[in-house]
Amino acid sequence: MAEIVARFSRRGPASEETLEAVHAALDELWTDAEFLSDLDRMAFTTAVIEASTNVIRHAQPDDGAELQLGVDVTVSAERLEARISEIGARHSDPAAEDAAMPEAGAENESGWGLALIQALVTTVTFEREGGSNVWVLRRNASNHSG
Amino acid sequence: MQFTVERLPDYAEVNGVGKLNMVAAPKLREVVADVVAHGSNHVVVNMAGTDFMDSSGLGALIGCLKLARQAGGDLRIANVQPQVQMVLELTSMHRVLTPYQSVEAAFSNG
Repeated sequence: MAEIVARFSRRGPASEETLEAVHAALDELWTDAEFLSDLDRMAFTTAVIEASTNVIRHAQPDDGAELQLGVDVTVSAERLEARISEIGARHSDPAAEDAAMPEAGAENESGWGLALIQALVTTVTFEREGGSNVWVLRRNASNHSG
Repeated sequence: MQFTVERLPDYAEVNGVGKLNMVAAPKLREVVADVVAHGSNHVVVNMAGTDFMDSSGLGALIGCLKLARQAGGDLRIANVQPQVQMVLELTSMHRVLTPYQSVEAAFSNG
């Protein structure tokens, strides 16, 4: 197992406030992982914010449950990994949705999110864990020599 | 994210400082809608201080572009930072929202 050199975890209501806290935590995280390229940091940050936004916009709470957003990020020399959890959410599988990149034009104001995530990371998978839907985003570090 | 507007003879400049995410995207739509409603259909969004944009922000820019064009004008972007450039290229939207080197250059060709 590659050594984890930086990590953070945040959990809170699926709200704009939690999203901004996650973004601030990501910006802070990169000061502990300065060996990563700017592209790796930018791409991974964008993917995590896209997935977190998708949770806030689209996840449906289970009956009687309060919907929460959980973000757990680990960084090693080889790989960046984020687990983005829809806690208390009804089971869903965003992978089953259309993730094709919309055609570039002045008509398509939405539908970019999933396609963008797939373009930004190496793999995207979805898991169901207890009462949570979990997005697992992994990006191989581009400047790792082997 | 903070927006300021400056109305110049040939266009209105909208300056956005911060992160253009799901929180800021509706504000940008409001600001540009107000600018267009008050008679400026040529709009330059100065993105020098916009260090982040996601698909919510991109969607807002596209909506604002549509609004300006429906009013007979256009919307252009200037001083794009690396993360915003990355999102524009991955979505191929740089072909539609072409980044200009400066606010002044955006409408210099009319």
